[in-house]
Amino acid sequence: MKKFLYYITIILGIISSAFFVIDYFIFYQLRPKMVTFELITKGEENLLLFVGVGLLVFLLFYLLSLFKIASYLKRAKRITAPLVLLTTVGVLAFLFVFSDFALLTDIDKQYRLGLAQPEWSLVYPIMMFQFIMAIIFTYLHLYGFKPDNQIKDVAKDHNVFLVAQYIGLICGLLGLVFTSLGFVFHRAWNLHLHTTISSIILLLPYVLIVVYWFFMKFKEESGDLYDEKQIQDVGKSAFVTMAMSVFFMILLFVFNYNNLDGMVRVLWLPFYLFSTLFIFSATNLYYLKRG
Amino acid sequence: MKQKKSKFANNLRKYRFEHNEISQQELANRVGVTRLTIHSIETGKFVPSAFLALKIAEFFKVKMEDIFYISK
Repeated sequence: MKKFLYYITIILGIISSAFFVIDYFIFYQLRPKMVTFELITKGEENLLLFVGVGLLVFLLFYLLSLFKIASYLKRAKRITAPLVLLTTVGVLAFLFVFSDFALLTDIDKQYRLGLAQPEWSLVYPIMMFQFIMAIIFTYLHLYGFKPDNQIKDVAKDHNVFLVAQYIGLICGLLGLVFTSLGFVFHRAWNLHLHTTISSIILLLPYVLIVVYWFFMKFKEESGDLYDEKQIQDVGKSAFVTMAMSVFFMILLFVFNYNNLDGMVRVLWLPFYLFSTLFIFSATNLYYLKRG
Repeated sequence: MKQKKSKFANNLRKYRFEHNEISQQELANRVGVTRLTIHSIETGKFVPSAFLALKIAEFFKVKMEDIFYISK
C-alpha cells in the first residue's frame, strides 16, 4: 500500500507540473479574449474544463504530499525550521487550489456579465507558487524524505502534536487577519464567499492535521490521547484561551453595542473561532517549548 | 514562620547513563510517554505522577526514591 501511494504521488506530481505548464498556455490564449470580451469558442470553453480537471489533480497531489510530510514528521529526530516551513507552504499550496477555483469561477462569471476581471493578476503568481511547490514536493518524494533522519519507534507521539500547534497558530492568525478585513472593507464583504467559504478553507488544514493525529492515536498501544505532560499543557492552554476569548468577546460586544446592523453581526463566529484557535495553539506551543 | 520552599529533583539522567546510556526516546517508549515528558522531568520542569514515577523506577529496577527526591 505504501509503495502504491508512493508511485501514485510521484505520478500525480509529474502530471500536476505538466498541468501547470499547459494551464499557463491556456490562460495565455484565453486571457486577451476574455479581457476584451471577445467571443469564446466551444473548443476554448472545453479548455476551461481541462483546467478544472487540473485543479482536482493538484488537490489530490498536495493532499497526498501533506500526508507524506505528516508521516515523516511523526518519526523525525527533530522538528526543524525547514520542516515547519515546508509544512506551512505545503498547506498554503493546498489552500490555494480552492482560491484558484474561486478566482477562475469569478473570472468566468465576470466575463459573462461583461465586467472587468482584475482577478487575473492574482491567478498567475498563485499558480506560479503552486508550480514551484509541485516541483519541490516531487523532488522531495523522490530524494528528500530520507529514512536516516527518522526515529525507529515512537510509542507516544510528540511531533505531530507539535506541528498541529504550528498549523493551528498559522491558520488562526490568517483567519484573524482575514476576518479583520471585514471590518475595514465592509461594503465589499460577501457573507457567503468571504465569511463562510474562506473560514472553512482556513480551518481545513487544522482539521486535517487533527484528524490525522486522531487516526494515529487509535494506532498507539496505550489508548490515551495525551501523555501526562501534554494533558497538563493542554489544560493550562485551555484556561488561558478561555480567559482571553471571554475578554475579546466582551470587547466585540462593546464595539457592537450601538451598531446592531454592523459587520460584527456576521463576523463574531469566525472571529471567535480563529482567536481561540490562535490563542490555544500559541499557548500550547509556549508550554511545549518551555519543556 | 514561613516554610522553606522544597523542590522536586531526580537522578533520572544518571540512571539513564548507567543503564547502557539509554536514550530519552527509548525510555519514553518503555514507560509510554513522549520524549519531551522525559526531557521535562530530567530538567525539573515537570513533576511526574506517582504512577509514572513508579513505572520509571520499575524500569530501572530500583526504588522510586532512589530516582526521585525532594531537595531543600
